[in-house]
Amino acid sequence: MKEDTNLILAGLRIASRHKRYIFWFWLLNLTLAEFGTAAFRNRLHAVLDHSLLAGRLLYGFDRGVYLEMVARPEWGSSRGSAVPAMYFAILFFLVTLFCMPGVLDAYTSEGRPSREDFFRCCGRNVWKFVRVLLFYGIVAGLIGGALFSGHVALVKASEKSAYELLPFYTHLATLGIIFLVLTVIRVWFDLAQVDVVVRDQRAVRKSLAAAFRYTQQNLIALLAAYVIICVLGLAVLAGGIWVWHSFVPSGNVLGAFVVTQVMLVLWLGMRFWQRATAAAFYMRQATVGAPVQATADPAPSPEVTLPVVPPVNGAAPA
Amino acid sequence: MSLCRTFTLLLVTSLAPMLAVAQTAEAEAANAAVVAPLIPDTTLAINSSAPLSQRVVAYNIDAKYDAVKHTLDGTELLTYHNLTGQPLDRFPFHLYLNAFQPKATWVREAKAIGSRDTRYEEWEEKDRGSDEIKSFEVVGMGDLTSKLEFLQPDDGNKDDKTVVQVVLPKAVAPGDYVQFKIRFHDEFPETQARSGWNRDFVLGGQWFPKVGVFWHGAWNCHQYHATTEFFADFGVYDVSLTLPQYEVVGASGVRVKEVRNSDGTQTLTYHGDDIHDFAWTASPRYRVAEDTFQGAMGTVQLRLMMQPAHWNQEQRHAKILKESLDHFERWYGPYPYKTLTLVDPEPDSAASGMEYPTFITGGTTWWMPAGIYEPELVVEHEFGHQYWYGMVATNEFEDAWMDEGINSYTEVKVMDSIFGRDTSIRNLFGATLGEREDQRLFYIDVADLDPMARNAWQYANSHSYGGVTYGKTACVLLTLEKVVGEDTMRNALHTYFMRYRFTHPTKEDFLKTIEEISGKDLRWYFNQAVYGTQVFDYEVMQISSDPVNWYEKDLKEKKGETLYESRVLLHRKGDFIFPVEVEIRFDNGEKLREQWDGQDRWAKFSYQKKAKVESAEIDPDHAIHLDRDNFNNSRTMEPNKTPARKLANYWSFLVQFFSQFLAGWLA
Repeated sequence: MKEDTNLILAGLRIASRHKRYIFWFWLLNLTLAEFGTAAFRNRLHAVLDHSLLAGRLLYGFDRGVYLEMVARPEWGSSRGSAVPAMYFAILFFLVTLFCMPGVLDAYTSEGRPSREDFFRCCGRNVWKFVRVLLFYGIVAGLIGGALFSGHVALVKASEKSAYELLPFYTHLATLGIIFLVLTVIRVWFDLAQVDVVVRDQRAVRKSLAAAFRYTQQNLIALLAAYVIICVLGLAVLAGGIWVWHSFVPSGNVLGAFVVTQVMLVLWLGMRFWQRATAAAFYMRQATVGAPVQATADPAPSPEVTLPVVPPVNGAAPA
Repeated sequence: MSLCRTFTLLLVTSLAPMLAVAQTAEAEAANAAVVAPLIPDTTLAINSSAPLSQRVVAYNIDAKYDAVKHTLDGTELLTYHNLTGQPLDRFPFHLYLNAFQPKATWVREAKAIGSRDTRYEEWEEKDRGSDEIKSFEVVGMGDLTSKLEFLQPDDGNKDDKTVVQVVLPKAVAPGDYVQFKIRFHDEFPETQARSGWNRDFVLGGQWFPKVGVFWHGAWNCHQYHATTEFFADFGVYDVSLTLPQYEVVGASGVRVKEVRNSDGTQTLTYHGDDIHDFAWTASPRYRVAEDTFQGAMGTVQLRLMMQPAHWNQEQRHAKILKESLDHFERWYGPYPYKTLTLVDPEPDSAASGMEYPTFITGGTTWWMPAGIYEPELVVEHEFGHQYWYGMVATNEFEDAWMDEGINSYTEVKVMDSIFGRDTSIRNLFGATLGEREDQRLFYIDVADLDPMARNAWQYANSHSYGGVTYGKTACVLLTLEKVVGEDTMRNALHTYFMRYRFTHPTKEDFLKTIEEISGKDLRWYFNQAVYGTQVFDYEVMQISSDPVNWYEKDLKEKKGETLYESRVLLHRKGDFIFPVEVEIRFDNGEKLREQWDGQDRWAKFSYQKKAKVESAEIDPDHAIHLDRDNFNNSRTMEPNKTPARKLANYWSFLVQFFSQFLAGWLA
């Protein structure tokens, strides 16, 4: 347990040391979301700006008024708002995919990589990350699909019970299991991505194999670290919503914006913390040495060397 | 009433010598047949010493329910009193459960235009229901089973068996009685249209052969449609239900007898006075709470049958039930029955939100938070039907708005009174929803499809049926308050209830009562709102203010000193003509109210003041609920961008969160 905690703290230290990435990703996230919201915003201004009825949406949130607004023929279909948002969400995902090698490179380096190094690393690994993503899609798709099918079947069976809460508990239990399994898969692929960056693996299958072994051998510790961080993230989210609801007056748009953005930064930071934890774990293993040596690429890139990371919080190598 | 007693006296007097001489058994049987048809004057189930309705029917039913097969075998002795003033030689009967068959009109319509419960994407045998007559005898006329013929008066669908008719060899004379002995077998579907079973629960609704109503010189016995409900005569019900002893049972009327049989079953007997239907429910898992309400006519026993997981909401249900009773008694008239059973039906069944005489079903979930008043709304609505359906028994086939719509209107009034005008459905985490706004939303996108005065099965689709009969009617009556006043409307509803309770009033009975009480000719309104499909949509089209001396080259505008020419242009976008009020505000704080009769397509108001117009608003008191677009009812000179920014921020938050989720899990 002590070691797990240390792993989490090690991840936190790495993520904090490179918090600028969280900031930049948040800024990118916000910017793209603003573009994705433009269509929705324009519709809102067209309906609300000159109508006194808008006051019932500003001072409080009258659901009836909102539903009336979106029911107007002039408002058009909900696709008009949802599709641009989806495009910009996909764009954010692609940018994240492109930039993540640079982030992981920084997380596994002692110093602060230059901007050139950052993007060089991104460019060098982008195609490998796409391949990792494809593997991830296949694995998570197959396992997740099977689990969701089981979930649906179990919930359907539980609905036949006369005990009304059984479907709810079945939902809770099966979704909890699905979450844990998918988290394990995410841990595996997070480690694989670190391995790809650190060892500059061309054959990503080797990184996947090495990461699989790490995950398998340290499943509980890694899963616990990811789950704890996730729970903390959810707590922050819930706390933020509580603060938003309790302390920000309904008509205070700036206050709501600040609170929501703080929530989103922290939520984003949660995911970076998980990745940093994976990086810390990987480097601890790398310092131990064995698995990395065993699967070393025969033709490593000349400019990439295996970084040396100091032992994490007393977890000295054997 | 006096006619019945005179008739009884005459019969007994004339039959006494026959009984005295103890003639043959055949004669005794004939004697029994003649005496039995009298419909009893019982008052066991009402807080009244005399019957409250003109009792046309008496149902005496003995039924046995098979909880495993979900079937029921019953014998029904129906006594019909011919009060039509003319001889009757044919009698149509509803067999409602036959609606749940793949070729029946109900299923056909539900698939084509939708229904509240199911869309029948595929047919499943558990959806099947049936009400089969095994034998049909008319006392004194013999077995007429072979004479039964199915009718399809509405759509000619020969596969529809929801109406069956018998032609008697001899007509029943005016004032006479006739008795039908019917043996029937029911197969309940998995709950459809608030009848049937789910798991070990059953709701017995529309489960026995039921005679039509002779109304306005003809039989009124429509087929069962996906959007229709029911219509029946008042009378007396004596129903014995035999079912397993483990079942907890609730039913219309009062329970008068309980027998525990040696075969593990129980026989429960119920009696109902002055009601026009009988429903029952059974489940081994009900938890029952008893309560009372002191009504104007006496004590009402309240019985709440809750699902175990909803037991913590029992007080919530009891509270709204008593508050509804209180409001209706104060506003519209007394509740005369001795019992009221509230059933919290099986979750996820199509049994929630239904009304039967002295018996209603609610609808909630185990997680229902306190700030969502949906359970209260359902209970209030179904209780309201005790008045608008239960006692004022309008024809639900032909005038659905008269029960659902008037009930929706009174629902708005009661819910607003209890929970507040803008928070009467929802008041949770700063998000609110008022019941009257909800009713408006129900109808605004079907505003021009169907008039209120239309047969329920002839609406464009189920959405229009719901939107117009519930939502539009509520909005029409709420808007009418602006014309006649809220107190007058309440008085009109009270008069309507007291005058027409225990009868079958028509739409004109209702409309004329409002005209009578208000002392106003409201035809101009009813012709558009009730009989027409005119769309109500007024807008502030334009507002402007320009300096009177705009042509001066060195004009410097100064607040409070510069004289402005201001104009307000109103536009009637729809074809519904209605007088409206408009409030014009100026930037010096001055407010003006103007009237417009709405006859022309537009109206213009001009002012010369040392102030600019700031805003104009049609219906500033928000009393018109028929307007399909409230956003264009007002216009401000200067834009206020804050509301849009607030909502855009919500949306942006969701987009950001979704983006992070996508990138976090995949990238």
